[in-house]
Amino acid sequence: MNMVTQSIDRFDGKLKVTGQARYSGDHSLPNLCYGYLLQSSIAKGRIQSMDVSAAQSSPGVVAIFTPFNPLKIYSPAQAGEEGMISGDVIPLLQNPTVDYFGQTIGFVVAETFEEARDAARLVKLQYQTQPAIVELQAGLGQAYAPKSVSGMGATVSVLSDGVTSIDEALRSAPVLVSATYNSPIEHHNPMEPHATTAMWNGDRLTIYDATQWVQGQQRNLAAVLGIDEANVRVLCPFVGGAFGCKGSMWMHSPLTAAAARVLNRPVKTVLTREQMYSAVGHRPSVRQTVTLGATKQGELTALKHEVYSTSSRVKFFAEAAAHRTSLALYKSPNILVTHQIVPIDFAPGTFMRAPGVAPGMFGLESAMDELAVKLGVDPVDLRLRNYATAEPVHKLPWSSKHLDECYRVGAEKFGWSRRSPEPKSTRNGDWLIGQGMATALYPAHRSHAEVKIRFQSDGNVSVSAATHDLGTGMYTVLAIVASEALGIPPERIQAVLGDSGLTVAPVAGGSQTTASVSPAVAAAADSAIKKLIATAVSGTKSPFSGMNPSDVSYANGVVQASGKSVPFEAVLAALDRSAVEGSGIASPGEEEHKYGFLSFGAQFCEVRVNEWTGEARVTRFTSVMDVGTVVSQKTARSQVIGGIVFGIGMGLLEATKVDPNSGWIANRNLAEYLVPTNADVPHIDVEFLNIPDTTFNLLGVRGIGEIGIAGVPAAIANAIFNATGIRVRDLPITPESLLVDQKGMA
Amino acid sequence: MKAFSYKLAGSTDEATGTGTQSAFIAGGTNLVDLMKIDVMDPKELVDINQLPMRGVTLDNNGLRIGALEKMAYVAEQPDVVQHFPVISQALLKSASAQLRNMASIGGNLMQRTRCGYFRDVIMPCNKRVPGSGCPAFTGENRMHAILGVGNACCATHPSDLAVALVALDASINLQGPKGTRSIKLDDFYLLPKDTPNREHAIEPGELITGVTVPHTNWYQRSAYLKIRDRESYEFALCSAAVALDMDAFMIRDARIAAGGVGTKPWKLPEVAQALIGKRVSQATFEQAAEIAAKDAHPLSQNGFKVTLLKRTLTRALVQVGGGVA
Repeated sequence: MNMVTQSIDRFDGKLKVTGQARYSGDHSLPNLCYGYLLQSSIAKGRIQSMDVSAAQSSPGVVAIFTPFNPLKIYSPAQAGEEGMISGDVIPLLQNPTVDYFGQTIGFVVAETFEEARDAARLVKLQYQTQPAIVELQAGLGQAYAPKSVSGMGATVSVLSDGVTSIDEALRSAPVLVSATYNSPIEHHNPMEPHATTAMWNGDRLTIYDATQWVQGQQRNLAAVLGIDEANVRVLCPFVGGAFGCKGSMWMHSPLTAAAARVLNRPVKTVLTREQMYSAVGHRPSVRQTVTLGATKQGELTALKHEVYSTSSRVKFFAEAAAHRTSLALYKSPNILVTHQIVPIDFAPGTFMRAPGVAPGMFGLESAMDELAVKLGVDPVDLRLRNYATAEPVHKLPWSSKHLDECYRVGAEKFGWSRRSPEPKSTRNGDWLIGQGMATALYPAHRSHAEVKIRFQSDGNVSVSAATHDLGTGMYTVLAIVASEALGIPPERIQAVLGDSGLTVAPVAGGSQTTASVSPAVAAAADSAIKKLIATAVSGTKSPFSGMNPSDVSYANGVVQASGKSVPFEAVLAALDRSAVEGSGIASPGEEEHKYGFLSFGAQFCEVRVNEWTGEARVTRFTSVMDVGTVVSQKTARSQVIGGIVFGIGMGLLEATKVDPNSGWIANRNLAEYLVPTNADVPHIDVEFLNIPDTTFNLLGVRGIGEIGIAGVPAAIANAIFNATGIRVRDLPITPESLLVDQKGMA
Repeated sequence: MKAFSYKLAGSTDEATGTGTQSAFIAGGTNLVDLMKIDVMDPKELVDINQLPMRGVTLDNNGLRIGALEKMAYVAEQPDVVQHFPVISQALLKSASAQLRNMASIGGNLMQRTRCGYFRDVIMPCNKRVPGSGCPAFTGENRMHAILGVGNACCATHPSDLAVALVALDASINLQGPKGTRSIKLDDFYLLPKDTPNREHAIEPGELITGVTVPHTNWYQRSAYLKIRDRESYEFALCSAAVALDMDAFMIRDARIAAGGVGTKPWKLPEVAQALIGKRVSQATFEQAAEIAAKDAHPLSQNGFKVTLLKRTLTRALVQVGGGVA
């Protein structure tokens, strides 16, 4: 297949801005009632008593489910396994134990949302409270090494011959930098809250659910509800942002479905913004120490990256900050990564945009900047001196790596050569100006997928799979890829997604959707064309009746043979057929074990910092990405811009504030949990190298959903150092870190 | 949200004659928010939007702003922009464009604190439930006050406009069942002391009809500087309202107040006094700013506000007074 790259408008854009796209909370059904989560107000203990009498008699209340009157929820099949799974693995409402603040301890169903919410506030609770550890610092004493981190051991080490330990390698390094970096708990905060609308028809469940994975949700719901998978249909054609927090099953979904079953009425539950801070995951807090040993010329001789990350005591999740970064980025003869879990009495964590990578690259790429400063070497040069031409652990070749070109193009576009390496050397009035850079990387993932293509008698073609458009542009990508494969304009292609009944596709997470689903389009197109030709020669009323299929060809929507050219819809009309369809699959193969697959990028950032009052603002950003073929220019660019905005939030603004005494979350709303406003976001210049990675897949595409954020907080911190001479190692970087010793004032 | 009744007031007398269980509603941008989260639960809302408390006028008696005028409108009035830039700037740096289009001047002055403990009914709060305690003293208090902190409450007053008005010696005009009166805005706001639930010197049934700012020519040499974590739609970590009366490089008079650091909009007369008769210089401004924080009592997370307050004042003074090489 030819490399495709087009710049067209988002197919679902008009539907979304005109309110025609129906999200999971937008479905109204006859006899619908509304569910509302009642959440705990303590971090640890037991519910001693729960008086629901006032709530029960509150207007409109249909039912109140509690640990003392539960809905039956079975344990998910994967419960207890450490590692890859996420979401709620302990069924809630099954016993009166409270393991974290904001845990769902009741489910109120009423005729309206407001009535359910009002009734929930009338439930009288008495707790037996136990002391809780709710922050990383307080839990360090209980830290332990988990069995696995990101599919590897908690400790991974690469030592060159004759070196017995990383510390030995570090001791003999001529130059050493070592620093500890901290990042707080962060929340995804997608614009669309989690919403579930569940209805039963006999023993069959249909559920509109905000998810990144209809088929995963289908399996999990079947398991916890104790029904056959075939009896669950999950629908989610539109997602209003997810960033990882809709990748797993959270308990409000099965509670809604179970209540609908018991009550024999459809039930809708839409989470409030406050509830989303404890019911649907977060990015754990990370403390990481990066130690670099290098020669005086800046060649790394040893790299040690030690990570502590918080994890809910009731649900293991490792924010793999070292494993997913320091084992992949730089050529160093000696590398050690370690990971320790700090158990806290807090809600379960989960994948959040660039899990592990986002905090890990803050540590690693800040440390590289510290090394560059210590050596007096240009930060870009330092990275080139440690350029890994093979994957550092297994020494596999890269499928396709042009990171050096990202640095070169980025430096050129940004004007890096004009940067003064001396801190505090550039100013504009009261504002100190600084420039910094960092590398971006993200693993290229790919999974098995199957796509169906259908020629329709109305002249359109549908392309379908059980995948998602999270706002990422997948509707547009599929239309473009199918358009290329079939020679039909994208306007005539209808992408159909977000239905568990469609052909198999993986979770729309890990930046893998385009790389997994798009390659199956070519196979599906071949199959559909073969079916179309077979149909064209078999029917007696067809213009191609009785011909040998090998004499009939297809091009650009037209069936051709012996001088006849007939559009496919005319062929179908002649045969009185509504459609013909074919399907195709694409899977990763042997190449998985022969190459290293990563996407790369270079992030260049300019900041201004007020020398009196310490506010740091990003004023300019250049990002150059090596992500393989870019199918849809416009939506791809939006993805990277979105990632950089996310990174500006992580760098300067975002932090979930937890009361150290009670585990209460102080900023459970979008007024006090700060994300960037338009005024915080400068012009962002995004460039794609657009070099196909055909070793990875037929189309040469790798993912772009997450790499945009990678390196951004480090680029900002490095630019702030260049502006002020102050090295900030704790995120977010707020004025208090930058008030030190600038105007010679205390 | 608890059930409530609604009444559209046809006259000011009708509005002020309502009971203690009532709340006045104008733009509703703060009240409705707080009702939704059960922090406020008036039995009756009295809609005052049709009352004649409008207009922005400037004459020898001063600048008079009707309580029902919208923040966005007042911020753009040429008289305000030209003669009272500190007021215009404070308004434009408040909230978001959408909120400024809805929110009234009177409502802005009555807005409640953003303290998270106050805003969540599952937590104790002396302001919301007197005597229940204040977890902020040992908990999340980065955004809290360092000035005017009593034993009961350390929440900041959130209004930017109030800081500018307090600096300029504005008065607030009230009308109630007993008639009309006018008091200095600085006296209108009460320190929390042991009764943080009492935030204003307002009597039951009293309504803010407007504010009056003395007309002094040199107020046109004024500015509002707001320091915040993000560039827009965010409350102040610290802010400064500064007006200077200058004779060449000499400071004849000054009006100064700070926001984001006090349990009420924090007027700084001693800082102003320290500037009078001085020649502008960075050292003069720094010495004066030093006075601002002399009574500061920082909490566990907001010690930086002591430095930030001094820096913010100095920066604002340099901006307004100039004269720094």
